[in-house]
Amino acid sequence: MQTQADFDVNASEQAGYFPVAGAHLYTVLHAVQEPLARVLLVGSFASERHFSYVPWARWARFLAARRIECLRYDYRGIGESTGVFEQMSFDNWSEDVELLAAWLKSRSPGVPLVLHGLELGALLASKAFAANVGDALLSWSAPKSANEVLRTALLKRIAVDNIFRSSAECKRVADYLQQLETGPLEVDGYRWSSRLWRDAFRLELPDGFEDQSSVVPRKRPVRMVSLDKSAEPLVKGSAYVSINSDLSGLFADNFEWITRALAIDSRSS
Amino acid sequence: MRGAIETRELITVNVDGMRLRGTYHKSHGQGSDSRPERHESNRIGILFLNSGFVPRASAGDAAVYWADSFAECGYPSFRFDLPGLGDSDGDLPEKLLEFAGLVNAGYYAPFVAGIARDLTERFHLSGVVLAGHCAGAVSAIFSAAASEYVRGLVGLEAYFFREGPERTNVRKEISLLVARSKLVAQLSRVYGLLRKFASSLKRNPLPQNANLPLIRCCSRLVCSGMPILILNATEPRPNPSEFDYLSYLQRLSGRDGQLAVKFVEGTNHSFADDVGRTAVRRHIEQWLSSYFPLIESVRIAAVLSGTR
Repeated sequence: MQTQADFDVNASEQAGYFPVAGAHLYTVLHAVQEPLARVLLVGSFASERHFSYVPWARWARFLAARRIECLRYDYRGIGESTGVFEQMSFDNWSEDVELLAAWLKSRSPGVPLVLHGLELGALLASKAFAANVGDALLSWSAPKSANEVLRTALLKRIAVDNIFRSSAECKRVADYLQQLETGPLEVDGYRWSSRLWRDAFRLELPDGFEDQSSVVPRKRPVRMVSLDKSAEPLVKGSAYVSINSDLSGLFADNFEWITRALAIDSRSS
Repeated sequence: MRGAIETRELITVNVDGMRLRGTYHKSHGQGSDSRPERHESNRIGILFLNSGFVPRASAGDAAVYWADSFAECGYPSFRFDLPGLGDSDGDLPEKLLEFAGLVNAGYYAPFVAGIARDLTERFHLSGVVLAGHCAGAVSAIFSAAASEYVRGLVGLEAYFFREGPERTNVRKEISLLVARSKLVAQLSRVYGLLRKFASSLKRNPLPQNANLPLIRCCSRLVCSGMPILILNATEPRPNPSEFDYLSYLQRLSGRDGQLAVKFVEGTNHSFADDVGRTAVRRHIEQWLSSYFPLIESVRIAAVLSGTR
């Protein structure tokens, strides 16, 4: 059940549009007074956005209730943001991270900024962090490359296409890839361009961010978390039986890490 | 950050102390002027509900596409997150099945009715047409029956049965076998036809798991003459013996009824692909112009605005 405190936190959520070149990003600022830290939440990609949306918003509310201001948003051309998906590239989405991080930091430069990404968002956040953006990085279920994310979605679409076909009628992965090489392919309602598919091979986790064991000690703290199916629907589960799992353990653990990593005193909240 | 851009505005409606968040797609000709007194003067608005537990953009952001399209035609359009969904306040059950139970019992109807009333008054509309997909269509039917501000209804892939218990893995395997094996599929079809014949002999032909309160609501709307458009995707069905609720409702509607049922070939349940979203847009535009035509000056303003 929601408590009065939850309603107070929800009331301070400010939805808005952030102008970028040729589009507007839909943003939700979970504003708090005198924040201990700020977190930019870089969510999952395209169709995965829809399934992870509820726990992602709850995570932002969890942090805001503990005096950590959060900004979550939709990628350019996806969800509530404007722009044509088919014309977008990973460069556009990387730029989104940098612009919003700069805006969030500018609200009070002395307050530490955490970049926090989920799945493809973790990849984009890691890339920005490697370029010296942010004071800490929290990564959930980062793929090795963007192609891993696209390939998973593509294989799911192929499986759905083939479900009512006999084995002789089934289309092969190669058929889809061939189509992608010559023109756009619709996956989960999004038109993937050939360029998107090609660029996905090149967007990889920066060196030293592959997993927690590979993270080299550095001045700015980094945490790479691998989420399993118990975190459904934040990450892909079996069949989305759970739509709003109790993730309080995950949330508390990662909140603890943020406070420790940034040496902030959460008890003052 | 801005709360509004040229074509859209982020709005909230409070219902029972719950802050519900949505997006308003300004009808063309409206421009950036969002003063209420200049608003949509006696037009009909289109209100989209969540498709299942998916945020208000819907699968593949199809609802954004439709809302943009209808606004371009001159119909102010709105997409809202119901309680617990998307960006709105409220709780959501942990399991999908529990959520389905709420939807199928009409839990969201008072909230939708509250939104319909608020939008009608705030934007000086003549009322709203509710548009919902799957579970959203179920909520739309319950809500239309509960609100005097609803003038029409569009149901995409509406269903009229209650949630069943979770299927066992064995049943799922059998369903897959039926889908993949031609022989098993034929046997299943014969079994289905026999069951259908047996049920046709009964006085009440509705199946045991029919959602009777929902069907009663829908029957009432049909008999009241409310314009209703039902759109379904004709993808292969693993169980051809399913009760034909749409024919049942069409019979209730009679020859003069205003229930239209259309099928879209070559798409899937979500209508999110190119074929589905385009066909849905076309069907709804035609239906709107038949039942809720824009006055000529508004239509011309929308056309002129679109050509700029």
